[in-house]
Amino acid sequence: MTNISQLGRDPDRSGRRARPGRRRASGARRRSTADNHASWIERKIPHFEVLDTEALELIEHNADTVLEEIGIEFREFPSALELWKSAGADVDGERVRFPRGLCRSLVEANAPREYTQHARNPKRSTIVGGERTVLAPAYGPPFVHDLDKGRRYATLEDFHNFVKLTYMAPGLHHSGGTVCEPVDLPVNKRHLDMVYSHIKYTDKPFMGSVTHPDRAEDTLAMAKLLFGEDFIEKKTVLTSLINANSPLTFDATMLGAATIYAENNQATVISPFLLAGAMSPVTVAGTLTQILAEALAGMAYIQLVRPGAPVVFGSFAAAVSMQSGAPTFGTPETSLVLYGAGQLARRLGVPFRSGGGLCAAKIPDAQAAYEAANTLQTAALAGVNFMLHTAGWLEGGLAMGYEKFIMDADQANMIALLLKGVDMSENGQALDALREVGPGSHFLGAAHTLANFETAFYRSPVADNNSFEQWQQDGSLDAARRANGIWKQMLREYEPPRLDPTIDEALVDFIQRRKSEFEDRDY
Amino acid sequence: MTINETIQEEEDFELSELDDAELVEQMHEDLYDGLKEEIVEGTSILLERKWSADKVLNEALVEGMRIVGVDFRDGILFVPEVLLAANAMKGGMEILRPLLSESGIKPIGKMVIGTVKGDIHDIGKNLVGMMLEGAGFEVFDIGINNSVEDYFEALEKHQPDILGMSALLTTTMPYMKVVIDEMVKQGIRDDYIVLVGGAPLNEEFGRAVGADAYCRDAAQAADVAPQMVRARRRGVAVNA
Repeated sequence: MTNISQLGRDPDRSGRRARPGRRRASGARRRSTADNHASWIERKIPHFEVLDTEALELIEHNADTVLEEIGIEFREFPSALELWKSAGADVDGERVRFPRGLCRSLVEANAPREYTQHARNPKRSTIVGGERTVLAPAYGPPFVHDLDKGRRYATLEDFHNFVKLTYMAPGLHHSGGTVCEPVDLPVNKRHLDMVYSHIKYTDKPFMGSVTHPDRAEDTLAMAKLLFGEDFIEKKTVLTSLINANSPLTFDATMLGAATIYAENNQATVISPFLLAGAMSPVTVAGTLTQILAEALAGMAYIQLVRPGAPVVFGSFAAAVSMQSGAPTFGTPETSLVLYGAGQLARRLGVPFRSGGGLCAAKIPDAQAAYEAANTLQTAALAGVNFMLHTAGWLEGGLAMGYEKFIMDADQANMIALLLKGVDMSENGQALDALREVGPGSHFLGAAHTLANFETAFYRSPVADNNSFEQWQQDGSLDAARRANGIWKQMLREYEPPRLDPTIDEALVDFIQRRKSEFEDRDY
Repeated sequence: MTINETIQEEEDFELSELDDAELVEQMHEDLYDGLKEEIVEGTSILLERKWSADKVLNEALVEGMRIVGVDFRDGILFVPEVLLAANAMKGGMEILRPLLSESGIKPIGKMVIGTVKGDIHDIGKNLVGMMLEGAGFEVFDIGINNSVEDYFEALEKHQPDILGMSALLTTTMPYMKVVIDEMVKQGIRDDYIVLVGGAPLNEEFGRAVGADAYCRDAAQAADVAPQMVRARRRGVAVNA
């Protein structure tokens, strides 16, 4: 199987020959298969940090003040209020106020520092937390965009396409969840097709439905058919996204899904979703305080439901334009928030989710590229453990872009190499090369170069670094046009991973049964 | 199986056991793999079998390097691999060159190449030199920081088909015109094909200084140079 790092290369030539030479092997030797994709990035470089201990302690203190004095609303979900009451919180209507330190101690005492999310292919099982970074595609866009057909509502076919592209992208370790919203299907049934796509068209780990507690139950039921009932009881096979309804609110939909996943020992990413200026204060420190308060309350709630259930400290923070109210991305203030939130999560001892190829651009243009690069690099350096929205994000998350996906997946590959740090082995030190070449010559033919050149530098399939004349001869294509050719080639070459036909049949039966049990609804 | 193991397994293979067609095909493989010793051996075997030096050159070596050139252009082979191939080709050429000259066959071409005065950047120029050697040229590299006198002395001494000049700096590239103007003045401009190259140049600049062609990279130089030499020998001008 081809992956995007060697697309655009001709297939190897093979003619009649007396003995097989390297020429015949040359295509194969640079071809990576889906089998050898990494399951996470192991970080070997330090975190980039922007807050000193004094600042961190102050933010932690302020967050506790928010939790104690202002509190968090748990709306239309009485069982949560009961749990909080018995844990010693002050419950006033739906407002819960927490004794100083309660949320932190619940999380510190119970939440795992890291957890394994199993995939149906054990080679693709991943670990979230610690010094690892797991990259997943964008989540949630109702529209898709590509250069040929422009912007339009996403369909199930688009959903399939992005699951397949993610499966083929070596830098993406996780299949994500709502890679786009298939709005051609009824709201109350589409989750069945979405979950099935993540089972059928990929063997990477994936996320569950959270739009209704029943849909979380359906996701679990399908996971049981796939992994076996016993397996699910002990192991985590789903990581699902639970957003706070910021400011300082959790709603019944999210709490319902979160509760079901937690009860079954499945992971949840508790994500304050903040557009600073609208949903949090305009300052970095104020926003960080709110993020910490909301994340603590959500993660502590999960620990009340089931102590030890895996949780991830999430943070989605952008800023709104004070001029228009529109969300903005890739700006320096939100980078500072991201770095700070990473520090707060590490001090708490839980995995951290943030980042992605975020941008406000409508098309895969220069704005899309630099805003996304700003956030991706920041997230990588900040120590994000689970990076949702790594690839495809356009227009503040309203659109999933085919070309943008390819451009971001290219960045994802580079993040892996950046985080790997510096090779200080004997080969890495390269004294042999320096001795061999000496002053005034060049390294292109040195033995050390010959032994290392294939893997020495990242080769982008998207970037063009030919001469102007060569570029012109190749059609004067910009990056988006080149990416357009790449995703089409990937979809042409896609081959599904094998799924046990008995399991497949059981899943299809389940989906058909569930679909026939109630009317189509658009809510 | 790794590449090394693949090659290892093939060590016991005897080139002399192959018939002519198989051997030529094998030499294309070996050039591709940059195996100098094998190319030297293959060249000698074909000569022992009474192949003319000319035939060995064209059918075994030049054709093999053509395949290398195509895969380099298409991004399948990388620079270090092409340098290895060119070096293997050079090994074969060293055997063939005296034989070709004895039999009165014109060599593929000769080139004098150097970086212009004031400029000490030579990696690109070296690459062009090696690629042209790979294309069967005899290349006389006169190094960096060359004055008009240095170029003229080399032209006089080596009598090449081509003079190649390179520059990396916008402040040194105008010196190419100084050299060409002096060639015109001395009435020797038309005795040579003049190729220019370097990052800050373009076609327009090449025309403006009076060169025959601007080559954007080493691969293109290796493509253009033999064409221009052949055309010139036939008495036609080539627009590259």
